[in-house]
Amino acid sequence: MAVFVEVDHVDRVFKLPTGGEYIALKNIDLQIHQGEFVSLVGHSGCGKSTLLNILSGLDQPSAGGIVLEGRQVTEPGPDRMVVFQNYSLLPWLTVRENIALAVNRVMKKHPQAVRDRMIDHHIEMVGLQKAAHKRPGQISGGMKQRVAIARALAIRPKLLLLDEPFGALDALTRGGLQEQLMQICQENDVTCVMVTHDVDEALLLSDRIVLMTNGPEAHIGQIVDVPFPRPRERMEVVKHPNYYSLRNEIVYFLNQQKRAKLHKAKPVVAMAANGLEKVNLELGFIPLVDCAPLVVAKEKGLFEAHGLSHVTLNREPSWNAIADGVATGRLDAAMMVAGMPLGMTMGYGSQRPRPMVSALTLSRNGNAITFSKRLFEAGVRSLADFKAALERRPDQVHTLAAVHPTSMHNLLLRYWLASGGIDPDRDVSVTVIPPAQMVSTLKAGTIDGYCVGEPWNARAVAEGLGVVMATDNDIWPGHVEKVLGVTEAWANQYPKTHVALVKALLEACEYCDDRRNREEIAALLAQPEYVGADETHIRQGFVDPYNRGSGDAPESVLNYIQFFTGKANCPDVSEAVWMMTQMARWGITPFPRNWLEVAERVKRADIFGQAARELGMLDIGRDRRPSHLFDGIEFDPDDPLKYLDQFAIKRDLRIEEVPLDAVIVH
Amino acid sequence: MQVLNTPTQSTNSLQTQEPFLVIDNLTKVYPTATGDFVVLDGISLGVNEGEFVCVIGHSGCGKSTLLDMVAGFRQPTEGEVRLQTQTISEPGPDRMVVFQNYSLLPWLTAYENIYLGVNSVFPNKPEAAKKHIVMEHLAMVGLADVANKKPSALSGGMKQRVCIARALALRPKVLILDEPFGALDPITREELQEELLKIWQDHQITVLMITHDIDEALFLSDRVVMMTNGPAAKIGEVMQVPFARPRDRARMMEDPKFYELRNEALDFLYHRYAHDDT
Repeated sequence: MAVFVEVDHVDRVFKLPTGGEYIALKNIDLQIHQGEFVSLVGHSGCGKSTLLNILSGLDQPSAGGIVLEGRQVTEPGPDRMVVFQNYSLLPWLTVRENIALAVNRVMKKHPQAVRDRMIDHHIEMVGLQKAAHKRPGQISGGMKQRVAIARALAIRPKLLLLDEPFGALDALTRGGLQEQLMQICQENDVTCVMVTHDVDEALLLSDRIVLMTNGPEAHIGQIVDVPFPRPRERMEVVKHPNYYSLRNEIVYFLNQQKRAKLHKAKPVVAMAANGLEKVNLELGFIPLVDCAPLVVAKEKGLFEAHGLSHVTLNREPSWNAIADGVATGRLDAAMMVAGMPLGMTMGYGSQRPRPMVSALTLSRNGNAITFSKRLFEAGVRSLADFKAALERRPDQVHTLAAVHPTSMHNLLLRYWLASGGIDPDRDVSVTVIPPAQMVSTLKAGTIDGYCVGEPWNARAVAEGLGVVMATDNDIWPGHVEKVLGVTEAWANQYPKTHVALVKALLEACEYCDDRRNREEIAALLAQPEYVGADETHIRQGFVDPYNRGSGDAPESVLNYIQFFTGKANCPDVSEAVWMMTQMARWGITPFPRNWLEVAERVKRADIFGQAARELGMLDIGRDRRPSHLFDGIEFDPDDPLKYLDQFAIKRDLRIEEVPLDAVIVH
Repeated sequence: MQVLNTPTQSTNSLQTQEPFLVIDNLTKVYPTATGDFVVLDGISLGVNEGEFVCVIGHSGCGKSTLLDMVAGFRQPTEGEVRLQTQTISEPGPDRMVVFQNYSLLPWLTAYENIYLGVNSVFPNKPEAAKKHIVMEHLAMVGLADVANKKPSALSGGMKQRVCIARALALRPKVLILDEPFGALDPITREELQEELLKIWQDHQITVLMITHDIDEALFLSDRVVMMTNGPAAKIGEVMQVPFARPRDRARMMEDPKFYELRNEALDFLYHRYAHDDT
């Protein structure tokens, strides 16, 4: 699709009366396609209205520019109409006269009859025939805004700009107007840019949502693609499996910006002490049973014991928040899904590659694949049953969820499906939903199953919503699950701190695998500041026998989740290569031609080794040898391409050099 | 066992111990040139002491008329409102109302705005006690240091805090909030919701609040009363909100129940009782 509106490196600087300057917008770069609906979302003062004014030509950029269909925008014009929050109708004219004023001005070359038709058509479009001869003072706020929209569209603009159009209306009146605007845009193929505060409004209407950071120097923080099919209907949109995860992601972004605003006054500085470069650490975790090593290190004083006197654990809402927090430096380090440091280093999801380091494996196993009770009751007991069910109902789309593109949940779920002849992209839909939203989404019936860590399988079983189809012990016993992740820049800047952190967590891992401590840890995890879930759910597989919910007696799975035993903790290059093959198999990242270099650069066995030796522990990992998953297909880490080659179900393989040294290391 | 569940039994218990606030078969009709206009049609609701109830519905569903009758500003055409079994016939300091548009006197400071109410309700208290009440409530909403500022020097959020302090300073039995945060930006709105919850918890006060915001209703209330569209609006559905207290917004959003209730409310308001503004 050709670019319709090009926002090219726009800056907007205001001169202050005191002599200084205020940089409102910094380097805004955005391409908008014809017929696209883009929303700008951010806090007050983030410059979103300034950007809209620049698009309309009411304001000029200080640097950069706007191009609409190949022509630079330098002044306001009828090809770009703006609808403001306060309606701006002339109070002494009727609804029809307000619209006629614009039409007669802009279309003066057309005969009166054509203009009249135009006016009436647009009054009808917004359903105001009955009110056509009323003045603004006689109609409701919602009706006034419909007049303003009709007036703007009546002169056939190329671009409709909406500045918080429904902000003055109550939330429920807004809802009706949103649906009407959506329908109008759809029918008239209008290109729209809308400024809004309302996340639900943005999700309902937009193709893309541009999230702006706070000013000064506001810029685009993130762009969210909205995948809901059109035509849209509010209740269908709300029930889309990704609705609440996208909504929570945007709310999270806005909350981060709010916090950033508060913290700007007191920037965090590294506190050096105890022979370490930095002892004040912000660590990120996701409320899951396998966050246990972080919780134990904190509660048992292991961080302090290794000189890390000011460690704060941050409970994060999603794996995206973890990746973003570590990348932006808000978090020093975090527990990550196993493929995340590799994925970030290679630039998954068209993100900028960012070299990451993982010097410790925090846990192995602990996941399961849960299917909805509905599927189970329809007779789905195995992968083969599922395939048969899919073949019986080719008209139905089955949606399964994993927690992050680079997580083992996603890679194992896809591997498992493909091993049964089910293409995870073509025969079903695999989507990403944060762990804490899995059960609610399953309950809402918008997904049919998921692969996730605990307590989210246990909870679905306990609530009678789902049945565990396979644990990861059934698929790949002892696989890497959660790892410690930091940026390479951080690791280079704070090497002693890094080793101290690995030591504290390694001791915590050992503590977690002493079965005598499991009762105590389960109680710790149940506290609201950590996992905050029902302790009986946490205990499933962790302390108690594992209940699959299939009616069979709970089984004792000793290694359902491992933290230390079996040389669990050394970063393992072979496993990294396996994950790279699977990420490439599904098109998440290219397969790096320099795969060994990437794997060795990320998986820092040397840092682990130093930490282990200083603790008097074994500083080696698992033996390097070919391994296999449940299907018996051998994986030889020395020949990953041959391994990839033999899979029948896969995407087109991209093999690319990942230029590690091109990335600046601070 | 069966006897206990018969309707007679529950009627008896209703007579012996009725809820704190009772809205009893309330109907409001306005006579117009073209005939009677029925705003509310037979609304019945019991609110327990210390309960937080939100009323949600489209514009024109008569929510504000309902609150006005609880406040005593208007009289019902049929039925009545009783607070602790006493029929409400006029406004009184036992039911304080906070409106969306602040309604502070612009020529008085924050302190003076609150003092005005305190002085008229407790005229016989010693001056020091009145002063103490005013300052205590300003401090409760975190505004002790702007006591001498006039409303024009305060932000929207601060003005609404003064209104809440003014209402609570009179020690009402019921706090009535008519879309109190509707005019505030989303961040300030969330901050004030959290403050309001804390105050409600500390004061153990009974709250009846109108809102258009489903998230706000789910975060704050014990029950959400959803109204059908006017004219002749009724209570369409009453939703129990089970989240543990004290509430934490992030924790609530992890609860599957939140999404279930939110979708149910959306369905009610946008699907079953969609609003047609023509």
